[in-house]
Amino acid sequence: MVYKNIICPVCGGSCDDIQVELKEGSIDVQNACKMGNAKFQEIVSHHRILKPTIRENGKVKDVSWEESLDRAAEILVNAKRPLFFLGSETSCEAQEVGMHIAEYLGGVADSNATICHGPTVMGIQESGMVGATAGQAKNRADMIVYWGVNALESMPRHMSKYGVFPRGYWTKRGRFDRKLVTVDPRVTPTATASDLHMQLNPNTDYELLSALFTILNGKEPHPSVEDITGIPLSVMKQTVEMMKESNFVAIYVGLGVSSSYGKHRNIEIALNFVKEMNNYTKCNIGALRGHCNVAGFNQLASYLYGYPFGVDFMKGYPRYNPGETTTVDLLREKDVDAAFVMSADLVNHIPADCAKYLAEIPMVCVDIAPCPTTTASDVVLPGVIDAMECDGTFYRLDNVPIHFEPFTDSPFSETKSNEETLKMLFEKIKAKKEA
Amino acid sequence: MQALLNTGSTINEGKLAKGGNKYSEEYTKECAVCWMCAEDYAILGCPEKVAVISRDGKHMVAVYPKVTEAMMSGHVFIPRSIWANVVVEPDTFSTGSPRYKGSPVTVEPTNEEVLSAEEIVLKLYMGGE
Repeated sequence: MVYKNIICPVCGGSCDDIQVELKEGSIDVQNACKMGNAKFQEIVSHHRILKPTIRENGKVKDVSWEESLDRAAEILVNAKRPLFFLGSETSCEAQEVGMHIAEYLGGVADSNATICHGPTVMGIQESGMVGATAGQAKNRADMIVYWGVNALESMPRHMSKYGVFPRGYWTKRGRFDRKLVTVDPRVTPTATASDLHMQLNPNTDYELLSALFTILNGKEPHPSVEDITGIPLSVMKQTVEMMKESNFVAIYVGLGVSSSYGKHRNIEIALNFVKEMNNYTKCNIGALRGHCNVAGFNQLASYLYGYPFGVDFMKGYPRYNPGETTTVDLLREKDVDAAFVMSADLVNHIPADCAKYLAEIPMVCVDIAPCPTTTASDVVLPGVIDAMECDGTFYRLDNVPIHFEPFTDSPFSETKSNEETLKMLFEKIKAKKEA
Repeated sequence: MQALLNTGSTINEGKLAKGGNKYSEEYTKECAVCWMCAEDYAILGCPEKVAVISRDGKHMVAVYPKVTEAMMSGHVFIPRSIWANVVVEPDTFSTGSPRYKGSPVTVEPTNEEVLSAEEIVLKLYMGGE
């Protein structure tokens, strides 16, 4: 049977037009990108984690779900300040249970945003954001700017689905009705496909944005900005003019802006530039969110506790102080003593000092395939694949909630979803804590 | 050679990571790689392997060099992966996000073995356990 309109659980694009046909031992996937197709193949892969394991005296052994949940609960209950890293490749429903466990135990709840667009969120908190849905940008935008993001490789269908090539209501000729500018220190495939590539020097996003802002305000930037950024003033002026002459400018920022020196201040000035540009034409900005439901955690945490990530419950009420209550800082400073990692390969994605400490402390993880985090974990609980084996909610890159339906069932009789696994774990934790 | 390190996605890195193949040889070949321009590669003496060393000299990772026109002189790129993160600095400027882009590193020729992702976890992070 062919299943249509399946949601892809890989990146923030949340493509909703995937077509799959499940056969005996194989799966045919249509419309997905290279990354999406690879993830759908996990349904039939031979390396899928199908049994819970625990590490005892340095040796890893298969155990029952009951025993693994028991051991996981013991680790988390015995910790003074456990870290809950509630990854993005699962539903908001599972993340919500994880946050409630963190609150109950007085731990810290964080997610991929902290090592992804966390600074972007902080920039938005500083200056607000002129945003638009992906559909609005598709129908209206006649100028696209990819700043610090290689869309073709990090969100491969963005250009064809929303950004550059699709025919929109006001851009009926697709690519021919749009100008495309890329700002990146590398010559990426996205830059190659652009009409204009501003190959700026690394860590000079703030200076370039300041210069564009100055030009927009009718003033001449200091000539030293050419040497600093590596971009001629004439090109900066041409870019500002192109923007002003467009009917609708859509700017997409990536980690090139939020992870370079300047961090959230780069985002802050970009957001202020966009606000100013709206005096001349319609202009909006959005983040290309690489991880699947990374936006969902921000929405959920803000809705439930008032803060978008790095939520610390140690004092009995939610606190948020990036640099102190965020995963990398907590691990670098050795400020947590156990970790629960769900649907994210945290060990792979953090600096060595943090990864080393994470491997030292007791760790429980939920995952579907072997990876550095499962290797370093003391308890591994098999994960259920959201949008394939269970239903739930993702938030797309533009913060639009997307409900997904499965096309097959969980391979485990013990659990139907990661949400259910966490609910079982929560029950065990409560029983141990109250005993 | 001093350089600024950039890290980020490549489509094959994404394909292999999302497909659960982080322990495959293909993943090592895709990600344990340091991109640089031909001029910088020549300055290094065209080595078969290079060591990328963090600014504080505390961490080093051996990877294969890749010569490409995508890079400007003085800049190197390692795909987002465990190899890149060995030398990414853990300070976050009080944002929670480490210095994935734009940190100074030293790149030099090496004879050190290029470790797999699993070997990095076991040898570097778990102390050979």
